[in-house]
Amino acid sequence: MLEIRGARRIFTTPEGGKVTALDRVDLNVDENEFVTLLGPSGCGKTTLLRAISGFEMLDGGTVRLEGADLSKLAPFRRPINTVFQSYALFGHMSVARNVGYALEVRGVDRAARERKVSDALETVGLSDMGSRRPSQLSGGQRQRVALARAIIAEPRLLLLDEPLSALDRNLRQQMQLELKALQARLGIAFIFVTHDQEEALTMSDRVVVMREGRIEQIGTPREIYRHPRNRFVTEFIGETNIFALTVDRIEGDLARARTAEGTCLSLPAAGRSRGEAVTAVLRPESLHPGAEGIAGTVMRSVYLGSDLVIFVRPEAGGAEIRVTTRDGADAPMTGDAINLAYDPAVIHILEDR
Amino acid sequence: MTPRVAQMGLGAFSLLFFAFIYAPLLIIIVYSFNSNPVNMMLWDHFTLEWYTGLFGLSERGPEIGDQNRSLYLESTDQMLHALRTSLTVAAFTTTIATVVGTATAIALNRFRFRARRFYNGFMLLPMMMPDIVLGIGLLIFFVTIGLNLSIVTIIIGHCTFLISYVFIVVQARIAGIDPALEEASADLGASEWVTLRKVLLPQLAPGILGGALLAFVISMDDLVITYFIAGTESTTLPVFIFGMIRRGVKPEINAIATLMILASVIIAGFGLWLRARKTD
Repeated sequence: MLEIRGARRIFTTPEGGKVTALDRVDLNVDENEFVTLLGPSGCGKTTLLRAISGFEMLDGGTVRLEGADLSKLAPFRRPINTVFQSYALFGHMSVARNVGYALEVRGVDRAARERKVSDALETVGLSDMGSRRPSQLSGGQRQRVALARAIIAEPRLLLLDEPLSALDRNLRQQMQLELKALQARLGIAFIFVTHDQEEALTMSDRVVVMREGRIEQIGTPREIYRHPRNRFVTEFIGETNIFALTVDRIEGDLARARTAEGTCLSLPAAGRSRGEAVTAVLRPESLHPGAEGIAGTVMRSVYLGSDLVIFVRPEAGGAEIRVTTRDGADAPMTGDAINLAYDPAVIHILEDR
Repeated sequence: MTPRVAQMGLGAFSLLFFAFIYAPLLIIIVYSFNSNPVNMMLWDHFTLEWYTGLFGLSERGPEIGDQNRSLYLESTDQMLHALRTSLTVAAFTTTIATVVGTATAIALNRFRFRARRFYNGFMLLPMMMPDIVLGIGLLIFFVTIGLNLSIVTIIIGHCTFLISYVFIVVQARIAGIDPALEEASADLGASEWVTLRKVLLPQLAPGILGGALLAFVISMDDLVITYFIAGTESTTLPVFIFGMIRRGVKPEINAIATLMILASVIIAGFGLWLRARKTD
């Protein structure tokens, strides 16, 4: 439905330098799809969003919506609406007038407008708040007003620019689920910008990981988490352990590999060859205390409620290994000698080191 | 020092502070009701005759001879004429300065162009300029281009520096407005013109109103610049009062001053009321 081809945007800094905010970005968004643009600040995700809404003009490339080129269209002519990070509610208008603004400027008559406004307010669960001022609402309620205002004109595509970042943790998690449900109900595509990987994994059909104006990887949350393409994606999506290994020998289905310090790991043999250098990813939750595996010493542990994170120094030396385990009476203590067991099949080899 | 003593000291200080500021105004108001025509600092008894006299409602008291009466009435006419001139000037100047100042503030804040900083600096300059320099400069300018001194030259002169005042007040307001508001409006389908009307101007309203009131009051009050550029036919109230004092203080001055204080208080109160209503 939305097609972005070769999007380029270069900013000139006040000092006269050039910053490439978007570097030949290609992206497709399908009907009814929830796509998240994820990356650290300055990665170009907001610039990409603003290029779609029209607030940022591209230096090259095209943005097409259902085949029609949007590149030269002013923001107010695009059938796309945005939920802003600051909500951007109009303080001098009532909640109802805020929500009905898109219809008001289109000249929709009053009766039809009021009906749609009350529908939209009901959709976001604020039916009796129409006569209030935005300043009389809580942060979560303002968020819902911004949402109602953005969907009332039935856009083909809804853009959300870090809309949950100002909410506290509980409310944020609740809104994540509500947003996802709303998207399914409305049947329109959402493009959601965030720097919070957990948020991205929770809500998205597909996640677009960006860095320095380029797309590093596009995939479902599961693909991104389990099969990250490179070190950046791996480290950005959740906590992880990364091992730089050299393959020693192949034994049947398994390849034996070791780090420079001498820690040994077993990998799936498929595609491996002797002497090959590989980068392996082992998530903290894939490791657990066991009879055999990587031998080491527990250096410290962090209590997280249901989970316990322990940091283990391998016997052979090298970086500490992070392990997520359940807390309990038999939980490892600082100073304990420990063996870290794992299923070799879950080890992920980065294709792009 | 105990907190109690400290608090009383602070109270006394505040009292003295306000006394210092308001005592002169209070004295003017009190003596505007004093019937003593010769020495107005000497309390005689209460009267409203200076007020009624101002508007030509009462025949002047017995101490002026008949030959002076016509002279007196003439000066009252002149004063009312000066007041009308002042109000006309203030009305035109306020309108022009508010429109131009607001437009300039919007342009300099919302559009990025090469000479922006330069413009910003130049907008502030007329405010910093000593009045007397501005007055002489305007006079020489008008004479050079052959424009006769009249109410028009006063309006032009006032606009030159009042635009700056409006600009500063509106700019302070606009700097505090989230640019995302205008983007949200555009995003929801409003053209730039509709956004200006429905979002930006209502958001700026308290600032625009504040700037307009400031411009009005300063225009009504300006003496130095107006003194240079007012023609003989177009005297404003401050210039008229200044002239009156030089000819000897007349008790009517107290009454005029009291009415001006009253007008200022009403305008300021109106402004505050509107602002309280708008903010949320």
